[in-house]
Amino acid sequence: MSAPRLEPRLSFPYRRPAVERGYTRQTLHVDLSRPAVAVKPVPPEMERIFIGGKGFDLWLLWQAVTPQTRWDDPENEICIACGPLGGTPSYPGSGKSIAATISPLTGTVIDSNVGGYFGPFLKFAGFDALEVQGLSAEEVVIVVDGIEEQVTLYGAEGLPEDAYALTAYLTERFAKGRPRDVSVVSTGPAARHTRFGCLNFSWYDPKRKRARYKQAGRGGIGTVLAHKRVRALVARTDSSVTIDTNAPADRERLKQVSRLHSREIVELDPKQNEMSVIGTTHLVTIMNDHDLLPTHNFRFGSHREAENLGQAVFRRLFDPGFDGCWMGCTVACSHGVRDFVPLTGPYRGTPVFVDGPEYETIAGLGSLLGIFDPHTVIEMNFYCDAYGLDTISVGTATAFAMECFELGLIGREATGGLELRFGNRAAALELIHQMARGEGFGRIVGEGVRRMKALFAERWGADPRLLADIGMEAKGLEFSEYMTKESLAQQGGYGLALKGPQHDEAWLIFLDMVHNFMPTFEQKAEALHWFPMFRTWFSLCGLCKLPWNDIVPEDNRDTPEPAKVMKHVRWYAEYFSAVTGRESTPEDLIRMSEAVYNFQRIFNLRMGFGRREHDTLPYRAVGPVTDLEYESRAERYDRQLAEIHPGRDIASLATAEKRALLRAHREAQYVRLQDAVYRRRGWTPEGIPTLATVRRLGIDFPEVVALLAAHGVRE
Amino acid sequence: MIRVGGKEHPWREGLTVAELLAELGRAEDTPVVRVNDTFVSRPRFGATRIPDGAEVFLIPMIAGG
Ligand code: SF4
Repeated sequence: MSAPRLEPRLSFPYRRPAVERGYTRQTLHVDLSRPAVAVKPVPPEMERIFIGGKGFDLWLLWQAVTPQTRWDDPENEICIACGPLGGTPSYPGSGKSIAATISPLTGTVIDSNVGGYFGPFLKFAGFDALEVQGLSAEEVVIVVDGIEEQVTLYGAEGLPEDAYALTAYLTERFAKGRPRDVSVVSTGPAARHTRFGCLNFSWYDPKRKRARYKQAGRGGIGTVLAHKRVRALVARTDSSVTIDTNAPADRERLKQVSRLHSREIVELDPKQNEMSVIGTTHLVTIMNDHDLLPTHNFRFGSHREAENLGQAVFRRLFDPGFDGCWMGCTVACSHGVRDFVPLTGPYRGTPVFVDGPEYETIAGLGSLLGIFDPHTVIEMNFYCDAYGLDTISVGTATAFAMECFELGLIGREATGGLELRFGNRAAALELIHQMARGEGFGRIVGEGVRRMKALFAERWGADPRLLADIGMEAKGLEFSEYMTKESLAQQGGYGLALKGPQHDEAWLIFLDMVHNFMPTFEQKAEALHWFPMFRTWFSLCGLCKLPWNDIVPEDNRDTPEPAKVMKHVRWYAEYFSAVTGRESTPEDLIRMSEAVYNFQRIFNLRMGFGRREHDTLPYRAVGPVTDLEYESRAERYDRQLAEIHPGRDIASLATAEKRALLRAHREAQYVRLQDAVYRRRGWTPEGIPTLATVRRLGIDFPEVVALLAAHGVRE
Repeated sequence: MIRVGGKEHPWREGLTVAELLAELGRAEDTPVVRVNDTFVSRPRFGATRIPDGAEVFLIPMIAGG
């Protein structure tokens, strides 16, 4: 390969505006096709209604695309935004970027909330959001340099292929001796060959003297970046960020509320989950003990070997030290493994630093595949990041292929000779390398579960009904890694999520199953209203949700609504008021989210989704598909059937009959839940926001009203 | 003697997590505890014995994830 070369193709000087109350009030648009760069103002209405972050992304994307736009059309764009609170170093969890695009997996909007420094650096370089539109004729790197006040588009040749090496190279190249001033967004070679390419967002770790990474994993945003032929986005700014950099409306108020939350975390994290030591790995054995850890493509919720992947192991493997993915985050949960030596692939035998794994990656690349060896999980984690792959989709898609192989729905002729059984570590790793090379069965798995289902039925004659039941996707997106069979509320949390089954909208399993906080449909519907709304708010503002409810006040359980952790919600209202000067209550935060949330639902509608029929789930998420699954928890299911059908002799029924009875009941329950949630959210029985709802939320733009009318919604 | 959330609590031979939570009146609302470095969930409370001198923390798992 030739030496790396970056040739400036286009330079665009600009004046960096002062940040005022968390906003620069301008956004940056890059058109790769022409190529051209432009700056757009943020109108007051956009700021008032859409707040920032994901709200800005959605509004910009809405104007860029049409109902016919596909993910690979030039008009599709990648939007990345921070938010008014993003970049505050005093308040924990305040450095998130939110990326959005039209997804290669779902065909509609996907959004992803990610750490690393890019979003805040973009803002401090002068822009509340970035749009990257068009298709480039050559490979390019886009650099937003807030110090030089210049945007430059470089033609790129000979750059390192994988994301780790590429980021290290670009950090060094643009740092001018201060690597902490640089953040890079990149993907890797597998993003060119699969639909679930991820974005790696970097930050520089001065103690370890290396770039570190967080991933915007879901929905294939990396695939879109690779298709546009953008090798990387670079933001550069002075990294001496302080509480004043956002120019808050009330500095003292901000200081006070920041101190409260920050200190509470320092005091309570050691007494609670110890996230600053073990990240989210504690969830592995907790989920396993509650029969909620997905194993073997979501067939079962526990496994006797799960402890091999638990926090006790990662407590020893993680490199000790401060691991905040934004400055000053006292949760500091973004851990990594030092001097890990891969056994396969291009880094075979070479010590590397691996960022991760987190719970989702451990479950997706481990238990879900029947793999209970932490070193294999770490190696898969490393190559997924380096190749630019979403670990969740890789795990869930591979698990589906493994089950199809085990059930004989596909054979070795389909897998190119791979013995794709659960637990086959070598085969799982080989699939990832194939994805990076664009070869073999890995390329097919890289199409995602929805397309594999169609292909296996068409080419190999597999039973489409069985494929539909065990293929763990909804809306085209692979499930994230929680078992939902015994939690109707979490079935709603996945099935009714706007972008597909990702738990960031609602994680209600413990509330529903373990605490039994919401026995009625109305209570579940209320939770499926409030939680998605409040969780959405974090992505409007550039925040991480972990400090809200992963560490809770000691007196929280004595409050009227412990699940909401209202003390923290009030702090967030205070935080928002202090930075923006827009005096807000907790109820105001929910209203902000509601507007954006409903707008996204309508965006889905515009792209041909967003109705009841698109909120369905594979039956594996709802109940036991096979006799094996039923019989493994027969006592539980038999007891439930006896309660549902008192007087009926359940014991005399064959397993298949019992499964059918249970299925009829559970599917009907899910439909009742949909009804209740749609009502609570102010939607029609078809799941479309009513005119009254969009008026109340101030999103009754003419094109929204026309779209609703086209779907028969006129009041 | 053990410590629960930083406060001293009497220990006896064979004390299980389930018994401790019952003594504290926290059996209902505690799905997970940490005993030193080990997380223990409700299905294993009855079978998990607490060693003398242990640090025990009640984990308020509610809506994380
Ligand atoms: S809590 Fe963890 S993921 Fe969230 S901002 Fe802090 S370090 Fe990053």
